[in-house]
Amino acid sequence: MMEQLPWLILLLPLVSAATILFVARRVPNISALLSTGSALVTFVMSILFLGFGDDAVVPAYPWLWLGGTLEKGLVLEIGLQIDQLSRGMMFVVTTVGFLVHVFSLGYMRTDDGKARYFAGLSLFMFSMTGIVLANNFAMMFVFWELVGLSSYLLIGHWFQKDSAADAAKKAFITNRVGDFGFLIGILLVWAISQTVNFDRMETFFAGNPEVGSGLLAFAVICVFCGAVGKSAQLPLHVWLPDAMEGPTPVSALIHAATMVAAGVYMLARVAFLVEASELAAHVIAWVGGITALVAALMALQQDDIKRVLAYSTLSQLGYMVMAVGLLAAEAAMFHLFTHAFFKALLFLGSGSVIYACHHEQDIWKMGGLRKKMPLTFITFSIATLSLMALPWVTAGFYSKEAILAAAWHESAPLFVIAGFTAMLTAFYMTRLVLVTFFGKARTEHAAHAKESPPVMTLPLILLAIPSVIAGLPFFYERVQATAPEHHGEGSMLVLAASVITLIAGAGISFWLYKGASEDPLRIKLLARKFYIDEIYQGIIRVFQDGVATLLSIFDRYIIDGLIAQLPAYATASIGSILRRLQVGNLQGYAFLFALGVILLIWITLFNT
Amino acid sequence: MPAYYLEVIVVVLGLTLLLVEAFVPLGDRRSLAWLAALGIGVVLCLSFLVSTPEQAEETGRFSALYATDGLALFYKRIALLTTLLVLLMSADYRKILHQYTDPERPQSQAGLGEFFTLPVFACAGLMWMASATDLISIFVSLEAVTMTFYVLVAFMRRNVGSLEAGVKYLILGALSTGFLVYGITWLYGITGQTELSAISEVLKEGAVSKTAALFAFALILVALGFKVGAVPFQFWIPDVYQGAPTPITAFLSVGSKAAGFVVLLRVSEPFIASELISSNVITILTVVAGATLVYGNLAAIPQNNFKRLLAFSSISHAGFLLMALASTPAGGAISQFSISPVSAISFYLAAYLFMTLLAFLVMTLVRTQRGGESIDSFRGLAKTSPFLALTLLIAMMSLAGVPLTAGFIGKFYVFLLAVNQHHYWLVALGVVGAAAGFYYYLKVVRAMYWEAPEDTSAPAIEVSMPTKIALILLIVAVFIFGLDPAPLML
Repeated sequence: MMEQLPWLILLLPLVSAATILFVARRVPNISALLSTGSALVTFVMSILFLGFGDDAVVPAYPWLWLGGTLEKGLVLEIGLQIDQLSRGMMFVVTTVGFLVHVFSLGYMRTDDGKARYFAGLSLFMFSMTGIVLANNFAMMFVFWELVGLSSYLLIGHWFQKDSAADAAKKAFITNRVGDFGFLIGILLVWAISQTVNFDRMETFFAGNPEVGSGLLAFAVICVFCGAVGKSAQLPLHVWLPDAMEGPTPVSALIHAATMVAAGVYMLARVAFLVEASELAAHVIAWVGGITALVAALMALQQDDIKRVLAYSTLSQLGYMVMAVGLLAAEAAMFHLFTHAFFKALLFLGSGSVIYACHHEQDIWKMGGLRKKMPLTFITFSIATLSLMALPWVTAGFYSKEAILAAAWHESAPLFVIAGFTAMLTAFYMTRLVLVTFFGKARTEHAAHAKESPPVMTLPLILLAIPSVIAGLPFFYERVQATAPEHHGEGSMLVLAASVITLIAGAGISFWLYKGASEDPLRIKLLARKFYIDEIYQGIIRVFQDGVATLLSIFDRYIIDGLIAQLPAYATASIGSILRRLQVGNLQGYAFLFALGVILLIWITLFNT
Repeated sequence: MPAYYLEVIVVVLGLTLLLVEAFVPLGDRRSLAWLAALGIGVVLCLSFLVSTPEQAEETGRFSALYATDGLALFYKRIALLTTLLVLLMSADYRKILHQYTDPERPQSQAGLGEFFTLPVFACAGLMWMASATDLISIFVSLEAVTMTFYVLVAFMRRNVGSLEAGVKYLILGALSTGFLVYGITWLYGITGQTELSAISEVLKEGAVSKTAALFAFALILVALGFKVGAVPFQFWIPDVYQGAPTPITAFLSVGSKAAGFVVLLRVSEPFIASELISSNVITILTVVAGATLVYGNLAAIPQNNFKRLLAFSSISHAGFLLMALASTPAGGAISQFSISPVSAISFYLAAYLFMTLLAFLVMTLVRTQRGGESIDSFRGLAKTSPFLALTLLIAMMSLAGVPLTAGFIGKFYVFLLAVNQHHYWLVALGVVGAAAGFYYYLKVVRAMYWEAPEDTSAPAIEVSMPTKIALILLIVAVFIFGLDPAPLML
């Protein structure tokens, strides 16, 4: 039974999604309970799961046999990898997943597409579990795409709105760009190591440290492209802010805590590949660092509560990716782990605010919510402090320290960038809390806001707990194999840096935004996100128009003229010749038959 | 239970059906077809109880004549399943059949009994072919099947097309049989043996005339090429497929082809295993495969009649199957990096069974209730009968080779084999052929989904319960084995 438990965790959400889709679709309330029930069961199972030893072997199922043997060749398996890494990640996914399900029961209570929504959530849980538990690249890629699909479905949940439909499309297409690189990377890694299985791959690279350095670097960077798309790193970050068009619980689950972290998880899973190629590691670290900085800058001037959080997510993901590039994958996973809780909490808190303000998302139209929504305010503040890394008492402090320490050891410029980003984080989060919860109510909706129902506040309270304690050893040691050490040389300096940046960022923000009723800062470049979307639009337009013209010429003259007309003519003439052959005349057939026999014998005997 | 019990049971079933038809007054003789289908279904279940060769205590001549290996069992099951579905189709086809057998008397059921019973006898022959490992038993079983088909093809005796098809099939079939016997004679003359295993020994020793051996192979290839529809012996296929009653066309196209291929696999094996002639044999198979691919796919493009289109499609699939056979490594040694051509061909044929019979089942329904077989008859089917349109869509996607369908996996293995053997010309022709396939298979999809129906007031097509179940099971099979081919791999 225990052996089959991982399979159950994987398949239960699929069963739930299929049942809703085929049977229970017309009964939304049952669909919702079914989906939430399956999330609860997987949550409980993933806790049991933490008790598994590393020697727990789950029998793999050979799926497609494309030649060769398991050791050398292309045999695609469906197999589950049960180790510290996947167990910890499963814990995060199912905890946040379950709480988001519960929150959704309240948030989506009156939605018309409730059944569809919960089917989508279950499909997502299935796909995400597949990524986490996959023991080989091929299987991971399949689930990687399934996650993309469920994300598409959930972002576009309110597809009647053009902006939601467009955002879903944008997310899907941007991810395709990254996935294209990912697939090439997988194939290259397979070409080098002759296997797609992670364990065997690791053994191979441990045994052949000198293997093709240039090609390997290219392969690893291609694999990293997948993470760039999924974890929304520069330059493919554009989809994540737009993905906030989806329902807020979806933003919390998929676009903050789990799916966007899949890229980081994948890189941690193949950390041995990153270690094998110094060049690729540098590229990864710098992409992560720059994303962290640029996203934090963009977050400074956003007015939509969810967009501030979205850019903050980008920035934090940049931290994690940077840590992977600095060969500190444990630090990255540690931050992923703590970030999942407090960022999900922030999103759900923002959902609670949005719900209370009748789907108003502009923070300048809120204000003074502190007294009206005390539970939301307190939990939101806890998460904010955790994100700002308040020393010693929050989870975010420990994990950010680990990353800063890694940067300090490996690369001074990245340490400076990370420190500066920490200051920006403190700045924009202080701004967000001040404008939303303090001051006077600036609109009618905000003035009459009420606290959300318990089904929504309960998940907030439950998430606030790990936001505080997830950094403490007794908690994370159960889910994390090696405690990332940050008490080495220079740790005092790292600590000092994080305290100073926190005080500076929060202080300046407090001074600027205390009692402000409109934004005293007007930095258009940041508000417009460095015009990256516009630049992309321009490039795409020019490029698309150019390519379209080119293709049209190609299509008209080459395809239509040569390739279609010529064979069409040829086929027509062959057809008419064949038709003349297929006269239906028996003597003719017999004659041709005899001719064929002679031809065949001639070729066999005299022409080989 | 020994494997040959299955054939015995099938023959007894056929005789019983004849007796029932003669002595039991039946209100609706279609119940005969359902009875037959039930019996065949029982035998299909029994085939899973057959003892393996290790358990069976076989001695002497018989075991040399009759193989009971996995390959034989696999093709026996293909024959049984095909017959089962053909019988269901025949029951649906009663109306059309009646028009051309006894049009003066509307209530007459004359001839129906034979129409439902003969496929059962053909099935016994097909099952024997799957086990035949001696040239004589190959010849006898092959003829037992062909004889039945001569009758069945010409069954609609008031229909000129059906009669013409029957005559053509008879004469060209007789011609090809002549070559088979001649080839067998030569082979016996060279080796002094009729058992394939013994022939293999002699050919391996290499103490035979190379020319004579090749000549014998060419003659046998003529006859088997005729059976499976390989160029240049494919001329009969479009005319006969179009003229024959639709269920019989399906039977020919799946059952007869599969049995032809198992015989071809068994007969060509000793030749390919012999170092003396294997390279020549591979070359001729490559040439035939290439020609079949080109002809089948190109000639299918301009077709407007759906039945004729499926005839050319059957030629094109024969091309892919021959491509797999031609990719057998010389000397017969399968490297560990490749799958064996035998399993690739077997999987392909099983997939071909699912998707082709799916298409034929739908076509039978459209033919009987809309009265036409041209692609135009399928116009707007998505509006009037969405389920049938979806079914046909799935069949066409699988035939064209869209991923996640069994047809894709089949083609994939064939290409994998050809690439491993460096048959790049064949791969190129196969790619062109597969691309052309998308064009002509999706033509009917376009008609169903994007064109207005000819007659908007036409009632929805009725689907009987057994047919509906069969359709759903076939669809499930197409997807299941498209996702996980392992259970069908020999």
